[in-house]
Amino acid sequence: MFKFTILNKGLILFLGLYTLQSCTKNTAPIEISSTHFYNSVDKVTKIMIHDIFSPPVASRIFVYPNIAAFEIIAQNNKNYNSLTGQLKGLTAIPKNKNPKVNLNLSAIIAHIELSKQLIFSEEMITTYRDSLYANWEKTNKEELEASKHYALEVAKHIKKWMATDNYIQTRTMSKFTVNSDDPSRWQPTPPAYMDGIEPHWSKIRTLVLDSSSQFKPKAPPVFSLEKNSEFYKQLMEVYNVRKDVTEKGDTSKEISIARFWDCNPYVSVTKGHLMFATKKITPGAHWIGITKIACKQNNYSFEETVYAYTKTSLGIFDAFISCWDEKYRSNLIRPETLINQYIDEDWKPILQTPPFPEYSSGHSVVSGSASTILTSIFGDNFQFDDDTETPYGLPIRTFTSFNQAASEAAISRLYGGIHYRAAIDEGLKQGKNVGGLVVQKVKMKN
Amino acid sequence: MNKFTLNIVLMVLFFGCKKDSGYLFKILPEKTTGITFSNTLKDTTDQNILDYLYYYNGGGVAVGDINNDGFVDIFFISNQSRNKLYINKGNLKFEDISSKAGIEGNSTWNTGVTMADVNGDGLLDIYVCAVVGTNGFIGHNELYINNGNETFTEVSAAYGLDIDNYSSNATFFDYDLDGDLDMFLLNHAIHTQESFGKADIRNKRNYESGDKLFRNDNNHFTDVSEEAGIFGGPNGYGLGIAISDFNRDGFPDIYISNDFHEDDYYYLNNGNGTFTEALKQYFGHVSKFSMGSDAADVNNDGFTDLLTLDMLPEDETILKSSIGDDDIQIQELRTSVYGYNYQYARNMLQLNQSGSSFTETALLSGIAASDWSWGALISDYDQDGLQDVFITNGIPKRPNDLDYVKYISNNQIKKKLKSTNLIDQEALKYMPEGKLNNAFYKGTPNLEFINQTKEFASQEATFSTGLSYADLDNDGDLDLITNNINAPASIYINSTNAKKNYLKIQFKFSKKNKLGIGTKVFVYANGTMQYKELFTQRGFQSASQPIIHFGLDTLKTIDSIKVIWPNNKYQVLRKVAVNKSLTVEFNNEAQDFNYSSLHENKHIDFEQVKNNLGINYKHKENKYTDSNRSKLIPYQISDRGPALAVGDLNNDGKDDVFLGSSKYFDSEIYIQEDSLFVKKEFPVLKKDAITESVSAIISDFNNDKSNDLFVASGGGEFFGKAQPLSNKLYRVLDNDLIKLQLPENFEDTAVIKAIDYDSDGDLDVFVGNATISNNFGSIPESYILINNQGSFTKKSLGKLGMVRDAVWTDFNNDKQLDLLIVGEWMQPTFLQNNGGKFVDKTSTYIKQSLEGLYRAVIPFDVDSDGDLDYLLGNWGTNTKFKATETYPMLMYYSDFDKNTKTETIVATHKNDNYYTLEGLDELSSELVSLTKKKFTTYKDFAGKPINKVFDAELLEKAKLFKVYNLASGILKNNQGTFSFIPFDNRLQVAPINCFAKIKKENKEQVLCAGNYFGIKPYHGRFDGFAGALITNENNIALGHGLGLNFFNKAVSKLQTITINNKQYLIAVIHNGNVQVYNIK
Repeated sequence: MFKFTILNKGLILFLGLYTLQSCTKNTAPIEISSTHFYNSVDKVTKIMIHDIFSPPVASRIFVYPNIAAFEIIAQNNKNYNSLTGQLKGLTAIPKNKNPKVNLNLSAIIAHIELSKQLIFSEEMITTYRDSLYANWEKTNKEELEASKHYALEVAKHIKKWMATDNYIQTRTMSKFTVNSDDPSRWQPTPPAYMDGIEPHWSKIRTLVLDSSSQFKPKAPPVFSLEKNSEFYKQLMEVYNVRKDVTEKGDTSKEISIARFWDCNPYVSVTKGHLMFATKKITPGAHWIGITKIACKQNNYSFEETVYAYTKTSLGIFDAFISCWDEKYRSNLIRPETLINQYIDEDWKPILQTPPFPEYSSGHSVVSGSASTILTSIFGDNFQFDDDTETPYGLPIRTFTSFNQAASEAAISRLYGGIHYRAAIDEGLKQGKNVGGLVVQKVKMKN
Repeated sequence: MNKFTLNIVLMVLFFGCKKDSGYLFKILPEKTTGITFSNTLKDTTDQNILDYLYYYNGGGVAVGDINNDGFVDIFFISNQSRNKLYINKGNLKFEDISSKAGIEGNSTWNTGVTMADVNGDGLLDIYVCAVVGTNGFIGHNELYINNGNETFTEVSAAYGLDIDNYSSNATFFDYDLDGDLDMFLLNHAIHTQESFGKADIRNKRNYESGDKLFRNDNNHFTDVSEEAGIFGGPNGYGLGIAISDFNRDGFPDIYISNDFHEDDYYYLNNGNGTFTEALKQYFGHVSKFSMGSDAADVNNDGFTDLLTLDMLPEDETILKSSIGDDDIQIQELRTSVYGYNYQYARNMLQLNQSGSSFTETALLSGIAASDWSWGALISDYDQDGLQDVFITNGIPKRPNDLDYVKYISNNQIKKKLKSTNLIDQEALKYMPEGKLNNAFYKGTPNLEFINQTKEFASQEATFSTGLSYADLDNDGDLDLITNNINAPASIYINSTNAKKNYLKIQFKFSKKNKLGIGTKVFVYANGTMQYKELFTQRGFQSASQPIIHFGLDTLKTIDSIKVIWPNNKYQVLRKVAVNKSLTVEFNNEAQDFNYSSLHENKHIDFEQVKNNLGINYKHKENKYTDSNRSKLIPYQISDRGPALAVGDLNNDGKDDVFLGSSKYFDSEIYIQEDSLFVKKEFPVLKKDAITESVSAIISDFNNDKSNDLFVASGGGEFFGKAQPLSNKLYRVLDNDLIKLQLPENFEDTAVIKAIDYDSDGDLDVFVGNATISNNFGSIPESYILINNQGSFTKKSLGKLGMVRDAVWTDFNNDKQLDLLIVGEWMQPTFLQNNGGKFVDKTSTYIKQSLEGLYRAVIPFDVDSDGDLDYLLGNWGTNTKFKATETYPMLMYYSDFDKNTKTETIVATHKNDNYYTLEGLDELSSELVSLTKKKFTTYKDFAGKPINKVFDAELLEKAKLFKVYNLASGILKNNQGTFSFIPFDNRLQVAPINCFAKIKKENKEQVLCAGNYFGIKPYHGRFDGFAGALITNENNIALGHGLGLNFFNKAVSKLQTITINNKQYLIAVIHNGNVQVYNIK
């Protein structure tokens, strides 16, 4: 009751001021809905596809703008707690003192501004932003200007924090060293033979994890080409699964699952004399897509939407750091390389092998983390139709829960021929640990 | 007419004339010639660039006098439509007799063509290649036997030549010297290669894509590929054939150009019906996307050289928006794991080193980058006695455009692939067109070619593929014909005419090989020699006129002509007049030719000792790639070892040998015993294995009458105050090495040179340091270690530069020893010893800007004038680095992106601007915050000079290094001052790493050696320098003729050693076995 009164007082004062303004300038307040947020994130996702960001880098592009938006809405909303003190190094954003500011509008603007900083093709985002501005300007120029001013102030604050996450230093750190004398060591894979991406991602500052190795998975099965070894058995499983699903054909459940969860931002294709890329969203972006589906399904408000996106993206961000820490610790060779070398030189996986070491499976870790967080927000047994991949020519799949989706995403890597089983099982566990920690430690909502 | 009008008339006449005669070639319009043929492509469901890999490869041209009327006729391939035969009616008028002749063809997709008298009836027949068995392509290769009345009959089946596979091209020649013409059929795979696969899959046999050799057994052709040792695997992407007796043993050899990752094949004819493929043994590296080729002697040494084409553009905008070279680590995988040779995407000019190996000089020769090139014909078009080059160019769509591949194709292609296989104009529209001028290069006497594309002809850009030369108007000079995609064929008429002299020869050899295919001709005139062979299939999918043509400049008489017939009998013609068409007939009294006479004069000065006298040291470089850590570093800095030192270590009066090692490997000491060296183990060397030993001296440093060992450590792998960087002094005591104290040194030491510079009776040491790890561009201090009765103190000489070598000599003749220091990105530096004080007197001694990438220096009186000159080993000019006195190469050094790590950016001059050597992706790998936002497409970046890529302020703040000179050469002493004279181009093909003095009959000579592999695939590989023996400035002999085995090896140190009063040479090979030579 007490709370309500305070809020009411504030609201009355706010509305009072507003009415005054509206009377003098004949302007209406700018309405910000969750759709604005979906659209902004979708826009940034599209630009990421165009610009070709690897999955770990993409997770960073999602998380900071979300945090900026969340911090803006959380400051005057008793339902939400600021992340200050909860995320490593994040200090309180400047408080808004201008009553003309529409905080939801500021949240969207800060989100766009930070996204712009993080992607390459700025023109794509400024065109989008400017068309929004043009509309808002027509509605209420003063409110827009004030909100913009505040948004940029917050964005600046977040940028400063962001700049200390070691990202820029890791850009110039050494490349992964290929050493083909070590038979277990990861090597670049066909067809593009790209360098191992982000070999130093474990040096990126975590947000919630105390260190990148906090949930270090157990070591992968010991590399061995002895027929009876666990490693060899798992290698042969990849080979045999490929064989089975090929016999079952393109319409088999396994192939559908593998393709649905491919989430490879850059698949390099050569056909005839043409080289080209088929580009899709990353695993992180897929789970952001599922977050949108869940928010929509629950008719989430703008604030609730920002909250759900932010929390999920925190889990995805730390999941990538955790996973990449292990990837460049174990530096494990991909099944494709070994099968080509020792079993069948013409063998190709259903999916294109992505350019980094095998263990643990990135999609498994990320899915484990994101699904745990989403379950904590929306509950278990949350049925949804996942249409995230339809723009990339893939069908809709229906899931009964986030956990079911995560398990399917994980096993898809075996069907796709790009991971051994251990990377999937241990990866999923690793991800659930990361997600669980976020759920346990980060108190965003009261 | 007044004076004024006259002037105008004269001017018009003058300019009119000049315009007309200024060009060597005049391109005749189709209206004039009657040749309206155009190779028109029309995309269909099966025939398009998405479904057929080689859809844009165009068609061939073959020329020959099919009706024996003395005029050369022309046959054109149409890929999709009717092939055409034009009869030359004289006066450059042609008539299309295709339909009547019955040669228009029945295959869906035609490719190459050749003319040869297959059945030995004295009439030229025509063989047409086709792609059959894919995409619904039907038909087979066709053999049109000439009926003698301008009609032909297709009889391929009867001859066993109705091959229905994926043919590119065929050539008829007598490989087994049984008198008749056999055939090599070049095929190409059509699948797109996604994974490398092991190189040895070429040993499999695949009917569709495997190359084939056919033996002519009385007009029936038998496939003998397998028994003859011809690869027939599924991965041959054969696009070029060059036939020549490359190794000069009397039997024709074959060079096959393969596209993509498959190596080219070099088949040496064993003379018994079989071939040995030996590419890796003879070629250090080859073109990667090898297309057409031509074989001819370009340097008049009597051995056939080879030009293979690729697709490297010169134009900055195209270059920087096209897919670049392999990553260095991928190159390593490709070569060491998958078994391929080194391949780089550029034209390669392979100079035949008397059959022993090929030295590749395309960058030095200025012929490496002619863009998307199909066929080359090497001939003397301007008849000045030097070979010129003509290259056909152009591709309707550039599939390697980075923006297309990365950004545009996704949306454009994806929907197309789903709906239909036909990729329509909409999807291709965004792929840039590559319409280009065909290129002309004019030969010079010094291995360089001058681009004369604009000067030799006024051309329109085309997509030209097949090409032939022929004397179409019988005026003695060579005209050119090209087959163009979607445009009429081009006829280039040569207007050299009588301005320069020529000789045209045709042959009458035997019944079955009347035209004498395989005949070799040497022409000797006025002290010059030229050499040619008659093989008609040249260029790309095409055949030229079966004649041999020589340009003779102003020479009026040929002293003699030596004709070696295909059966290896020869005859000599003497005193032959020029400017005529000569027919040489086989003379039954022709004698057997002795091929060993062509290999004579091989003076073996160095004879490799089989057992290496027991010095069985193999240097192994540890796997460390500097550019993995410093991605923009211009070359490796961690691969400059190993060290070599010679001296008596055990006080027995005999010289022993120390050999350094790279990180993780043990340095080794070999003790000289009676006749052999024996390796002696020293535990301390094992303990110090972690160091990278790059320079060493054996001498008595503590005046105890026994020698010590001083070892300098370097490399870019260790950083900070890492112990492995410290230099070491070992004292030999009781058969053991005891480490002595030295002042601290944590720099990358490159050279140590000991001398008693202060004349106090003990040895002082100059320590030259090169780089600072992880901070290339930062300069370390170099210094002298002053010896005070065995203990050393440092005397700094300051930050001299990236020092690589130094010599102590008295260059000002004041009886005090001075230092001459050379290094990278620095001027050779003269430090004059003024009573123990070193004063930089460089500007007194050198007036030129000579900053280079020097690696070695040696004093030597090269002009025998009594004063000391110096020889400088530099980077060489066979490189993508470019530096001149006017336009030095630049290197900016700074922390550009302000992340506390410094970077270097190299830029070179091209067309009035400086451009970064590295492309957008490479720059972004280190400077992503500065590049990726600024340039969101490759098009934005490509063609931008460096000051448009980086902000002016950023560049101004950076430290700027310059290199003005890349040539190795002589710093010549002109009475006290020095001027630089470059060595000739034979010594500029690779970096020169080291020198050694050789004493012969009391006369000093200098041996130099080099080669270097510490560069990214962008630069290629410096593997072709066989060393050289310098007697004086005018007498320099290349190593392969002296018995030196330095081809394809990076020689890091040379030193002589006396064993039992005989002089030997020790050559230390980086990443290889030490070589010991007996000096004769």
